[in-house]
Amino acid sequence: MSDPGSTSAAAWVAEAAAVFAKDWRCEFRTRYALNTLGLFAFTTLVVVSLVLGPVGVAPGLATTVLPVILWLIVLFAVTAGLPRIFVAEEETHTATALRLAATPSALFAGKLLYGFTVVLALEALITPLFLAMVQLEARRPDLLVAALLAGGYGLATGSTLVASIVAQARGKSALFAVLLLPVLVPGLLFAVQLTRAAVGGEAPGVEVQMLLLYDGTLTVAGLMLFPTIWNP
Amino acid sequence: MKTVLPWLLWLWIASTIVCAYLLAPPMKGFAAHGESSRLLFFHVPMAWTAFVAFLAAGIWSALYLKTRRPRHDRAANAAVQIGLVFCLLATVTGAIWARVQWGAFWNWDPRQLSITVALVYYAAYLALRSQVEDAEVRARVSGAYAVLGLVVAPFLFFFAPRVAAFSLHPQPVINKEVLTGQQGPGMDPTALAILVAGALGFMVLFFWLHNLTTRLAALEDDRNEPA
Repeated sequence: MSDPGSTSAAAWVAEAAAVFAKDWRCEFRTRYALNTLGLFAFTTLVVVSLVLGPVGVAPGLATTVLPVILWLIVLFAVTAGLPRIFVAEEETHTATALRLAATPSALFAGKLLYGFTVVLALEALITPLFLAMVQLEARRPDLLVAALLAGGYGLATGSTLVASIVAQARGKSALFAVLLLPVLVPGLLFAVQLTRAAVGGEAPGVEVQMLLLYDGTLTVAGLMLFPTIWNP
Repeated sequence: MKTVLPWLLWLWIASTIVCAYLLAPPMKGFAAHGESSRLLFFHVPMAWTAFVAFLAAGIWSALYLKTRRPRHDRAANAAVQIGLVFCLLATVTGAIWARVQWGAFWNWDPRQLSITVALVYYAAYLALRSQVEDAEVRARVSGAYAVLGLVVAPFLFFFAPRVAAFSLHPQPVINKEVLTGQQGPGMDPTALAILVAGALGFMVLFFWLHNLTTRLAALEDDRNEPA
């Protein structure tokens, strides 16, 4: 006889995986998020390198200033593309079907995983281009990867939760940015500091632990708050 | 008695203001021969009151999400509205003090940034409420956002300053003295007593205003309810 706990856990994972697969299938049909995020980030990158290119950044300042610009590019791209995670469900009237098909926490986990993979894809596209265009070297690639993974996860978690909130309001796009930025400030601060350590070749301080704590806290808060946001 | 209490509160706050200017000695290490320290008797209690207001808003929101009673949502909304006024006043008085003490209104101090982000966060809370028509949905989503504020706050106020490169802010010294009662440089017992009295006065003022605002909101809700 199977353990009911393991059966329900398996069902939860299957639901989350189904939501994740459904979102990527929709994404491959419309390519909305990838096109929006990718083009937005690339355009911003070109503008940044056009502005900085001829002038450059003083070598002493490069490791301090350029990580901030990298994270701003990622942040603005996320702000432009990720509200669709839940807004699309409300606009296409599929939210009710989702409410019936999946438990709220599994739905949140599936959407979060989708958002995280989109952010990772964006970072994988933008970061090497950015480093090449502004001629910045990552002296500690391991730290850079850690910053992009943990920082990207924080961005995705905050965005998923706030997207579920704004999906039920008017003026969704503008409101998404207004609600999201104050939530992401601490995570961005830790991610920028860690990226600075990565390009400066320094040993990290407490940023890694802080970033992991921030990510974990947002995940738990998301799993606890999402059912109340999602279910009428 | 109910009509006397507000007058007592005004008298208390007025006395604190008079004491801050006439009784408190100028503190060592502060600009303008220590006279700039008098602004702290308003700035610090306002910042503490704003913090208490936002904490209360988060707790009332959590209660709303648990019980779904509209009065908890009204209480959370009122706490944010009044807390924002205190937060704005704390930011402005802090900037004025920074101009006198550090030479500029804005110094990229982590605590200046934290309070500004808090200001933006709770202004966003009000923006969210204004963008949702249905009262039940409005209470639910804004309640979740206020509870999320409780989660983010420790990172803003305690953890983020730890990774900051520098801080000019003297708050840890003053907080330590107020919380532990230990006297440190530049804070004598009279000044400490006036600071605590100011904080008490502003906090009672907050709860009084909060009571009035929630009662008014309850009357408006009753009037708008279909018969």
